[in-house]
Amino acid sequence: MSAELSADIVVIGAGIVGALAAQRLARQGASVLILEAGPRLERARVVAAFRNSPFKGNWMAPYPPSPWAPHPIYVPQDNGYLKQAGPYPYPAEYIRAVGGTTWHWAAQAWRLVPNDVRIKSLYGVGVDWPLSYEELDPWYQEAEELLGVAGADNTGSPRQHPFPMAPVAEPWSMRRVRERLAPAYPVVANTVARNSRGYDGRPACVGNNSCQPICPVNAQYLGINAVEAAEAAGAKVIPNAVVYRIEHDVKGHIAAVHYYAPDKSEHRVTGTTFILAANGVESPKLLLLSASDTYPNGLANRSGMVGRHLMDHPSTSLTFYADEELWLGRGPQSPSSINTLRDGAFRSQHAPYRLDFTNISQVLNVTNDLIKEGVYGAEFEKQLRWRAARQINVKNVLEVLPNPDNRITLSAEKDAMGIPKPEAHYAIDDYTRRAAEVSKADFARIAELMGGTGLRYSADGQFANNQHITGTMSMGNDPATSVVDAFGRTHDHENLFVCSTGVMPTAATMNSTLTGVALALRTAEHILPAKNSHAATAHVGHETSLA
Amino acid sequence: MVPDKLDGVSASHDHPADPSRRRLLAGLLTAYTASLIPWALAQPAPHADRGAFTALSALLVGRQALDAAQATRLYDALATASPHFPADVQALLTLINERHIDPLQLQGVLDGEHSPLAPLPRSIMSAWTLGVVGSGENARCVAYETALDAVIVADVLKPPTYAYGAYGSWTGKPS
Repeated sequence: MSAELSADIVVIGAGIVGALAAQRLARQGASVLILEAGPRLERARVVAAFRNSPFKGNWMAPYPPSPWAPHPIYVPQDNGYLKQAGPYPYPAEYIRAVGGTTWHWAAQAWRLVPNDVRIKSLYGVGVDWPLSYEELDPWYQEAEELLGVAGADNTGSPRQHPFPMAPVAEPWSMRRVRERLAPAYPVVANTVARNSRGYDGRPACVGNNSCQPICPVNAQYLGINAVEAAEAAGAKVIPNAVVYRIEHDVKGHIAAVHYYAPDKSEHRVTGTTFILAANGVESPKLLLLSASDTYPNGLANRSGMVGRHLMDHPSTSLTFYADEELWLGRGPQSPSSINTLRDGAFRSQHAPYRLDFTNISQVLNVTNDLIKEGVYGAEFEKQLRWRAARQINVKNVLEVLPNPDNRITLSAEKDAMGIPKPEAHYAIDDYTRRAAEVSKADFARIAELMGGTGLRYSADGQFANNQHITGTMSMGNDPATSVVDAFGRTHDHENLFVCSTGVMPTAATMNSTLTGVALALRTAEHILPAKNSHAATAHVGHETSLA
Repeated sequence: MVPDKLDGVSASHDHPADPSRRRLLAGLLTAYTASLIPWALAQPAPHADRGAFTALSALLVGRQALDAAQATRLYDALATASPHFPADVQALLTLINERHIDPLQLQGVLDGEHSPLAPLPRSIMSAWTLGVVGSGENARCVAYETALDAVIVADVLKPPTYAYGAYGSWTGKPS
């Protein structure tokens, strides 16, 4: 075993959430060590890997897993890392690398809507959060200023202070969708961590239309930007450090974490405070792996809730041809959506949803379709242009309620390092399925308003997954039913905190990253209050410091 | 941007120049196929297999010109991936020549007859239009920016990862 490492704060996982908590703590003068299981990546190499990939529709292709820190891969075939216990598949995708999964994301940086945190009280479903939207607001603001979020005020999420940036310029395709769907559906600009002007030393978007799998120009905020910010603040990152055990002392305090280097040499890292930030699958896996005689069910698991309440956002969709040329693929990938169905009295009966339009170039899908259909000869080029100009897609983003039977457990199967693989137990209940049915009427109306032909609904009962892993280490006031408190501190271990979208007690209808970051900043403040903090006033100072 | 360099112009890519051994594609076509790809009649090919590939490619992708350097790379990749590829190409071209099969009907005819050549058009189309040769674990990317699916829409779209233009340049109507 090598010489021990030590720090005031030890963070497990170098994704956007953990890294932004780390940078905040490092700024306060704490020594911070970030352990990341995966390797360090270079943006230019990711871009090259995408261009050279034979699977351009698979955004994981440019991110091959390392042997010592595997992550799920499904194309060209399932690498068998995330085991599926059923009954419904949960093919989550995530990236184990410095920077984490937001290397490829649509940068949708949504706030909740206020009622999302009170659905038990208001609608009799799910659970209430242990904090209010108003308490979250200043942390959202701080997160938005760190990420550089561009957005409009008409999305249903109130705010006390302006967005850091105006909405990103609307692509022609989305303008036409907005104009033709009004007034039946208000189509609004998505709230995104994408620059509509130069911000924090990064350029404005230039429309590469590859937000997923990689923004080549650094106009979209990624986890690697968060890591670099943490390093600039003094944090140290150790890549290729596969944490496999969290060690507690006789009092139940966390004393150290243990990691393997790729050569399987063992290392021990001690610290004062520990932050688990390895995402909603790997973090509960690690808590379960760290079982001891004192904690036979794993750490932080007195409630038995670690790994349970797994949630994400399933989607069904409609693809069709509009009656005019839209040419999706000009500008960023995810510009616009309909937000009016994110809340309402119907939530007592079925899930709420966002309706999301893609602006991803349709050329690849159309070409694949034409080859599949055997459209050859002069008709190929004609059809390619006609379809690529008119094909459009709308999907729902459906809420899933917390259910303890949906969970991450340890598989009996082990990875190359001898560490048990995670296993997903997942089902999609009637609350969510009913919403999918209801949204079909929206799909049909949208197609009608766009003069749609060639309507192709996703197959009944088939849901695409959105990789918004939530719930597996839920926060709550009751230690009997939750894993962490409202500040992300585990109920069972005073110096162990969780910073992750996995602490969200419900999934709501928006991409979870911004909420995960906001909660993590709040946790960081709780661990070590910022000088001159905070909350509702901190943004003023931040803008200055970011400039 | 449509490449205008025709097959044969840069035939030195695959074989040292020996004009006496070259043949014109015209010799590989019947009046029917020649009517579909008239430009190809006068195109030289380094050898019959390559000539047949160019002719069949032109019939399938339906274009009146194909980039010669790209043809060489795709042919080499396809022939490497399958030892039967050159013979299959000759056989399919002969079939189309003899039976006057419309390219638009070709896949249906091959599928309907359970022809062993049925996978061939898709593999050639995939190579030219997606730049991908092979499938599954054996798939390789041979072209991206110059794959025909990018070339055909190049007046409107850039291939993903390439900048469309200055911030906001995407707000106007595509023209």
